[in-house]
Amino acid sequence: MSALRTEEFTVNMGPHHPSTHGVCRLILTMDGEKVVKVEPVIGYLHRALEKICENRTYVQCIPILDRFEYVTAMSCNYVFALAVEKLAEIEVPERAEYIRVIMLELNRIASHLLFYGVTAMDIGALTPFLYGLRERELIIDLFEMTCGQRLTYNYIRIGGVARDLPPEFVPKCREAVKIITDKLVDYEGLLNENPIWKVRNQGIGYLSPEDAIAYGVSGPVLRASGVEYDIRKNDPYSIYDRFDFNIPTHQNGDCYDRYLQRLAEIKESLKIITQALDGLPEGEIQPKKKINAITYKPPAGEVYARVENSRGELGVYLISDGSTKPVRVKTRGGSYNQLQALPIMVNDCLIADLVAIFASLDVIMPEVDR
Amino acid sequence: MGVLKDFFNLLKGMTITGKHLGRRAVTIQYPEQKMQMFERSRGVVVLLSDKETGDLNCTMCMLCMRACPTAAIYIDAPRDENKKRVLKEFKVDHALCCYCGLCEEACNFSAIKLANKYEFSTWDIDDLVWDVNKLQDVGRDVPYVDTRKKKPAAKAAAKPAEKKADDKKSAADGAKPSAEENKQSEGDKPSEPKATDTAAADKTAPAKDEKAVDSSPDETPESDETRRSADDDTKKGDA
Amino acid sequence: MELYPVFMWLHDLLESTGIGEPWSTIISYGFLAVTVFGTLSILALFLVWWERKIAGHIQQRFGPMRTGWHGWYQTIMDAVKLLQKEDIRIATRDKAVFFWAPVVCFVAAYLAYVVIPFGENLIVADLNVGILYIIAVTTFTVISLLMAGWGSNNKYALLGGMRSAAQVVSYEVPMAVSILTVIVFAGSLSMVDIANAQQGNIIFNWFIFKPPFGIIAFLTYITAATAEANRTPFDIPEAEQELVAGYNVEYSGMKFAMFFLAEFVNLFTVSAIAVTLFFGGWHGPLLPSWIWFLLKTFAVILLLMLFRWTFPRLRVDQLMEFAWKFLVPLTFANLILAGWFKYAGWHW
Repeated sequence: MSALRTEEFTVNMGPHHPSTHGVCRLILTMDGEKVVKVEPVIGYLHRALEKICENRTYVQCIPILDRFEYVTAMSCNYVFALAVEKLAEIEVPERAEYIRVIMLELNRIASHLLFYGVTAMDIGALTPFLYGLRERELIIDLFEMTCGQRLTYNYIRIGGVARDLPPEFVPKCREAVKIITDKLVDYEGLLNENPIWKVRNQGIGYLSPEDAIAYGVSGPVLRASGVEYDIRKNDPYSIYDRFDFNIPTHQNGDCYDRYLQRLAEIKESLKIITQALDGLPEGEIQPKKKINAITYKPPAGEVYARVENSRGELGVYLISDGSTKPVRVKTRGGSYNQLQALPIMVNDCLIADLVAIFASLDVIMPEVDR
Repeated sequence: MGVLKDFFNLLKGMTITGKHLGRRAVTIQYPEQKMQMFERSRGVVVLLSDKETGDLNCTMCMLCMRACPTAAIYIDAPRDENKKRVLKEFKVDHALCCYCGLCEEACNFSAIKLANKYEFSTWDIDDLVWDVNKLQDVGRDVPYVDTRKKKPAAKAAAKPAEKKADDKKSAADGAKPSAEENKQSEGDKPSEPKATDTAAADKTAPAKDEKAVDSSPDETPESDETRRSADDDTKKGDA
Repeated sequence: MELYPVFMWLHDLLESTGIGEPWSTIISYGFLAVTVFGTLSILALFLVWWERKIAGHIQQRFGPMRTGWHGWYQTIMDAVKLLQKEDIRIATRDKAVFFWAPVVCFVAAYLAYVVIPFGENLIVADLNVGILYIIAVTTFTVISLLMAGWGSNNKYALLGGMRSAAQVVSYEVPMAVSILTVIVFAGSLSMVDIANAQQGNIIFNWFIFKPPFGIIAFLTYITAATAEANRTPFDIPEAEQELVAGYNVEYSGMKFAMFFLAEFVNLFTVSAIAVTLFFGGWHGPLLPSWIWFLLKTFAVILLLMLFRWTFPRLRVDQLMEFAWKFLVPLTFANLILAGWFKYAGWHW
């Protein structure tokens, strides 16, 4: 009796698929339910942001780069401002630095809360999504109160921030920190020890520290593989060296650890925010020599600035020729490298695991396609 | 007993969701209930009018048009025989607008603002291009802090509305420093006769300080050129 | 003990008006069928609405609010909308299979109600092999899902169909065995007899309170039933995050609505069976029997809804492992011990 003849088939997962977080297309070679090969196809969300920036003045680049990684748009604002500040050696007032740190960390929490919800939804639990977004809303409201927008902030500017904090911000922010700290217990209770959650995530999508480094993976995904590397500590920018916080790491490098890693980072961010709120000084929020939106000209030169955002290293490489517009703006996002590492994490896993792995990487497509 | 532990962990999750079953919803029923928007919320772009006379605050300096990163603002204000600007067209394309608020910060005359109104969706994308009348109408009830320097004369004598508007225009036209001077002057220029100073020390003042440079659009035709080419690039990029 | 008297009365009425056989029989049977069908359709529509409200409140939202008081006729409007929608039929489908799949699914879902007692004397036919009949006909659903998966000629749908076949066949076993445990308690296969055996002694005659076999049988049954009804954490056939919508990805309009309604009818079926087997069926004081039955059934449905809105989804191989390596041995051990206790005549 001859063996049953089977053959592999190709499945086009995406660009319109519920769990590809936007418009990523994965070409899967499948053997029944088993994924033999995965090939990401990117570019469906390409908006030529870098090219558009070449035709804008430096201040006008910031709202454009808001769209680069819209889940943590504050980091995008900040990294571009940091690049120009490095280039022009602008001194940022103390209060502005504190406000920036508060905003960046709030945005990191918001992004990780979104991750919490979306990952749970990809694994099949629909309720955590709403819970995560409920607390994210508190943070988004704080942003809207301060800078007027909920997603594309255009708040952190070259040399400072756009507006001072409203008077009710500090109490509201403390309240939000308290609520999120309380709700974290609910989040952990819902998923952390849930046997279904554990069996779906533990041991799935292993990424070794060597591979992670080789593929340029950064951020929580790298730290969940056991590599203690955080730009906030390793290459401190802003005033991060003044705060007392840890870089949590996990050792297993699987989906479950990546999930725990992000929850642990929320707690560290809450610590930083509390310290920054306590130490918030009075004073100016813009440098003495104001930056004009239309006529500002930094000196000629090249610079690379990088920050740690919720998806890893976010960088901007900037070339200036001394005119009002940058000659070249090159952006680097963590998601791109993480998506690149996806094929090596998928070794003969099932299609359901692929969804879990993709979710645990927290890839956001605008950052990949730009 | 691993099985029992798992079972109780499942029960724990169910108590958490079950607990929420009796709680009040955090969402609201939109058309009946509306969210209280924050004062700083950046929504629809409007043109502000003078609180007393009801005229537009706009002096047609075109700073907002130049500050806009998406070329959503279009102003056409040619000079008449008296070298005074006459507003011919002021259009804001809300479909192009990215609601960044740079125009509001660039304006020295409290003339343009991103109000905290959000209900302006239409059936037709062409209806999102608002002309000056609509921008002014929507902006009439928008509260704002007037950062213009008030002329005492304007308050004392109740001048006819058009006269005052003319005054303002002439003031704006009168102060035309050269392009060179423009680049030099980064901060406030108290020496200027016109009302560029951010006099009111309200909390939005630091943001307002940023712009402060007087523009003289008719003197910089090349800037219009670059603006236009930038527009083309935008369109290409978006396409 | 059945709806039979109603049928007889109708039959006699028709005879008296001069309509002879076989028409009087056919008409009176048709009347009976339409009654059961209509009741269940309304119940299914209600369940769709109720599930959406429960989900909303668990997630601190409102759920449907626009149509009537708290959106009570939302599902009716949805059904009207689905009826009006274009029935999209892809060109490469397997025509006959694609057409018949939702029909089979729909009919299979309703077949079980022949033997489910909604209350005292509210049963279409009290078969002496009632529970066996239910186990037999509910398996029809899997055929329809396989048909849908194959007929759609879509890879996602095919994967969904294959998954559902594997899942339902696997979970039939623990489900049947845990039902067998109850049959050991009751000593009968008839649904009415099983319910009657739990009468009296307030609630402590319910089979769920026969420690430890009753509670284990209930837990295994409810787990297997969740899988049978294709609900989270066992909803892998339509796992929307993996397979988009699984077997019904190519269906639209009324055909989709039939799948959807059948799903909720199945939900009601498994809960009604659970009530009859473990919670004393329609028996209860004061209130009419059918109200007791509905109340208990809705309580079980609420439990299943809480499952759905709390748990993540299992993976397909873990699902199989859970069924064959855990549930099947457990249910068999439970059955054997319960039988031994019964044989030994120990009262518990």
